[in-house]
Amino acid sequence: MKIAIIDYGASNLQSVANALTSLGKSFEIVNKPESLAAFDKVILPGVGAAGSAMEKLIGSGFAKVLPKLKVPTLGICLGMQLMAEFSEEDNTECLSIIPGRVVRFQTDLKVPHMGWNKVELIKESKLTTEIPTGSFFYFVHSYYLATDLKYVIGQTAYDVDFAAIAQKDNFYATQFHPEKSGQWGMKLLSNFCDLC
Amino acid sequence: MLIIPAIDIIDGKCVRLTKGEFSTKKIYSSDPLGVAQDFERQGAAMLHIIDLDAAKTGVPVNQELITKICKAVKIPIEVGGGIRDISTAQKYLNSGVRRAVLGTKALTDFGLLSSLIKEFGSKRIVVALEIKKGKIAIKGWQETVDKNYLDFAKELKTLGITEILFTDVEKDGSLTEPNFIVLKELINLGFNVIASGGISDLKSLKKINTLGAFGAILGKALYENRLTLAEALNFQTPVSNLTKRIIPCLDVKDGRVVKGVSFVNLRDAGDPVALGRRYSEEGADELVFLDITASHENRQTLFDMVAQVAKEVFIPFTVGGGIKTVDDIRKLLQLGADKISINTTAVLNPEFISEAALAFGRQCVVVAIDAKKKDGVYKVFLKGGRDETSLNAIDWAKEAEKRGAGEILLTSMDKDGTKSGYDLELLKKVSEAVKIPVIASGGAGSLEDLKLAFTEGKADAALVASLFHYGQFSVSQVKNYLSTNNIPIRL
Repeated sequence: MKIAIIDYGASNLQSVANALTSLGKSFEIVNKPESLAAFDKVILPGVGAAGSAMEKLIGSGFAKVLPKLKVPTLGICLGMQLMAEFSEEDNTECLSIIPGRVVRFQTDLKVPHMGWNKVELIKESKLTTEIPTGSFFYFVHSYYLATDLKYVIGQTAYDVDFAAIAQKDNFYATQFHPEKSGQWGMKLLSNFCDLC
Repeated sequence: MLIIPAIDIIDGKCVRLTKGEFSTKKIYSSDPLGVAQDFERQGAAMLHIIDLDAAKTGVPVNQELITKICKAVKIPIEVGGGIRDISTAQKYLNSGVRRAVLGTKALTDFGLLSSLIKEFGSKRIVVALEIKKGKIAIKGWQETVDKNYLDFAKELKTLGITEILFTDVEKDGSLTEPNFIVLKELINLGFNVIASGGISDLKSLKKINTLGAFGAILGKALYENRLTLAEALNFQTPVSNLTKRIIPCLDVKDGRVVKGVSFVNLRDAGDPVALGRRYSEEGADELVFLDITASHENRQTLFDMVAQVAKEVFIPFTVGGGIKTVDDIRKLLQLGADKISINTTAVLNPEFISEAALAFGRQCVVVAIDAKKKDGVYKVFLKGGRDETSLNAIDWAKEAEKRGAGEILLTSMDKDGTKSGYDLELLKKVSEAVKIPVIASGGAGSLEDLKLAFTEGKADAALVASLFHYGQFSVSQVKNYLSTNNIPIRL
């Protein structure tokens, strides 16, 4: 099995790479969209702002290739948000993989939503196999994906119930950072590698 | 916590019973729809409507009226009473009702619950756990069955149920006080629990809120004017399961942890990777490594250490100390650090905060502030409290936020190393002045000090050094203590 971690020059890949190494999975960092065809799985990480990340995805050609992927693909944090149709952050047109808009938290609570929060699993998915509902994951974000419940696998409460884990067909996405979420985060990554 | 007014309906009228006995029926209004609209106008976030006729007979009686109410108000509605088969539940949930409450049937038909969760998701299915003299009550509380409520709750959890409505029948409509012990037991099992029954005053509401309930249902207390909805709504807070963070802080010199870390069973107490892993396994929520290497030539050893920690510890960690340029930050983040902490450089050149936030996102920029009270004013100090600046600590925190800080690490120089507790006044002032998270640091000497940092100081996280290093407490001891004291904690 070959896993690609997409490097579009916008995010810190080291943590995801370290987590896969620790799980004993081989992977390659890929910076050319045409190389993706050779891989069985793809991870789209992301830290930073939607506008510049999308620019880089478009500039590098990944924006054209990603929505057409047929292999299991996992978007993490900003990577999840980039899978939406549109993001309020920098008013950015995104990849339109998962229907929905990325909106900012409207709340009296502190923003960014930073720290460990509970994820309630509302639908079955291979990605969450053997992970108990109510497990904690590490979040850092100010925006979230507002999407139809039918795409939501796990929900988290932060004034609103937002999509912490989403899935549409072969596209999986987590708003939290599994690579920084201890035991259950590692379990989720290994599920993605082994079961999805 | 959500404040949820109740509307109980018998024969199309809004009524209340006492302790679930139908003979005690008291009619409050013949217009439940008007009552619902009134609650909405006053600011209720959700309504709890029960078809009491149906609860008794098992077939929906007031369904038409309830659907009408649901269409007339904009706030979500949960409905209970007589929902004992899939088609009744579907009818409600497909006609705009947000949550269906199942009582009687849930007890015997786990298959029904399972299919409903599959079809509608766990958030929309509420199991009513009604307890009468320690037993589970069914059929409009007319009967009880012999089943321990905690065993039953655990079975529900396995099934995937997340929402519980807890009523102590003995207390309902009695205007005494709710059963806090059972409530806490259910919350501890990890459910979102709505408390119902016997909530008659603000004191009870406050207690339910501190216990971490998801919501509180108000019935008779509102109808009898024991308290007003407006008063109760003061306890309505945004629902969040975000936990407070406990962050061990390690001082590093030349790539080795220094300052009396004394773990038993640890061959090399100076190994940052082993220590980081150890704290992570004990349940630390994040780690902070503070580089106190005096010379700048030895930077490479710090880089090696960061790379090594990132390879083996899978919780977030922050690196601070001696960061002067955007390139310093880039290097540390590329090696796998999640955040960097800046102090002196930020004070000398505030523009640096903005540059860092712009380049890497504000979530990884922690601004550390060392504050000391002087002539009644909190001043920012540099170099471990030796150099005084003209900056007011609270103003500086606000400016750091404005310039792009994602978090404030606030150390009281007056308290640091004294073990006499955090400077709660400073902490509260800063926490309330900014909208970004604040990490409390300096002065923790006891478990209670940590608790106070959260309850009084309003901190989002607590940095802990000596309390852990000298083995006084383990991370899990601290977290268990805080959880027992109703601080939201990841266990």
